[in-house]
Amino acid sequence: MSPTQPTRGRPRSALVVGGAIALVVLAVLAVGLPRLLGGGGEGSLPAAATESERAARQPASEAAELPASPEPAFTVARPEPLRRTRDVSRWASVLREVPARTAPAEESRVVASLARTTAEGTTNIVLVLDRDEDAAGRLWIRVRVPALPNGQTGWVPRTALGGYGLVRTRLLVDRRRLTATLFRGGRKVFEAPVGIGREAWPTPPGDFYIRNKLKSYDDPFYGPLAFGTSARSAVLTDWPAGGFVGIHGTNQPELVPGRISHGCIRLKNPDILRLGRLMPVGTPLTVL
Amino acid sequence: MSDFTLGELDREGALQESLAGVWGCTRADFLGKAVVGGGALLGALAAPWEAGAAGAVTDSQILNFALTLEELQAAFYTESERSGAVRGKLRLIPRKLGAVERAHVAAIRGVLGRKAIKRPFFNFRGVTESQDAFLRTAVAFEDLGVTAYKAQASRIDSPAVLAAAVAIHSVEARHAAWMRYLVGVTPAQRAFDLGKPEGEIRSIVASTRFIVSSPNQTGRGSPRFTG
Repeated sequence: MSPTQPTRGRPRSALVVGGAIALVVLAVLAVGLPRLLGGGGEGSLPAAATESERAARQPASEAAELPASPEPAFTVARPEPLRRTRDVSRWASVLREVPARTAPAEESRVVASLARTTAEGTTNIVLVLDRDEDAAGRLWIRVRVPALPNGQTGWVPRTALGGYGLVRTRLLVDRRRLTATLFRGGRKVFEAPVGIGREAWPTPPGDFYIRNKLKSYDDPFYGPLAFGTSARSAVLTDWPAGGFVGIHGTNQPELVPGRISHGCIRLKNPDILRLGRLMPVGTPLTVL
Repeated sequence: MSDFTLGELDREGALQESLAGVWGCTRADFLGKAVVGGGALLGALAAPWEAGAAGAVTDSQILNFALTLEELQAAFYTESERSGAVRGKLRLIPRKLGAVERAHVAAIRGVLGRKAIKRPFFNFRGVTESQDAFLRTAVAFEDLGVTAYKAQASRIDSPAVLAAAVAIHSVEARHAAWMRYLVGVTPAQRAFDLGKPEGEIRSIVASTRFIVSSPNQTGRGSPRFTG
């Protein structure tokens, strides 16, 4: 742009005024900035102030002298992914007496009635197998039913059940080999010889679960500890409390292994005590 | 289950012991008699500190209080993941958050050692088995966790414990924002978070009754099995 040419849209006089204002601003900054930065005036340190005092007044130095943050009393390790869900079974307590039905619907046929407590006075629990919603959006749970005929399942409203418990164990009773084997996470952790039902009162085959654990009773016939199962004798239907099959100790260890019981599964006392430490209530049971 | 009190449900006394530590015996006793269905338990757990409600509170007691909430959250996400009810892209929510909450539980249990409370038993009443219910409950739980940590922070003596608690608190706040975003609630509505009034927290948890007593699985009567 030629100096003789007028600036487009801006008169020459305006440029002169603008330049003068800029000069004044620069002059003010040259005088005032050092004062603003502590170089003089009331807000500045006296000339006799030490270097450390000067430094202490600097904002950056103040931040630098903050004490270090305390080390946390504990640190949270990396997130813990869920362990594999294979070999995990769920059980739930029965909160109120409820009919178990053939399908997840109020109008479907009743398979059995579930009570809140067992004959032994413990909370009645059921093995959880599946879930579904009915047309109204209500949640239903399919459970293994402790009723004759053995092996039945039924649907109950979710509201009739309590919280879920988890087990990673599974008990297998082999009637041919006369053994009980406990698996945890798919790995064998226990095996012992067993006594099972005689031919006239056979131990029923099928899929069941452990309902409760009894101890501190005074009956040497059952040994020091007994587990209740959901299996029932199909023969001894008039047995007290319904003829449920138990897994328990014995006062006749010399009969184990053998086919010697009314349907119950008998273990030698040291074995049942060891099983008692390893097997939680809710464990699925398969009798082959 | 609708008329059970905490005292009846918490037979082991672990929760009341934790409450007594944080809130003092008087309030813990009140809660023991309160109907759990009213949300008294969780509401009180998360309520801001009331001056004079309790005497000297140890850091261990506050950590046990935090542990109770962490156990609640961890169990909730774990059960949701196991149920498989949350599907599609949202399936990662229980997986990711559950992994973090389980790590919180492990860390707090690690520092408390034998002083740690027994793990409570939970009944989530189906909310872990429905996607909609899961998301709504997750928002409530994460907001609850944030509020609870904030309410207790000023009571912690040890700077080291406070540093650890604050480190967890900020993670809970991120979780809360994430869950709120997913259900269409503004993650941060105010510039300054004053926390929720106790009544509001009570109303959030009024319908839960998630912490229950563990079932009685062991009897002492003589067996009546077939023998």
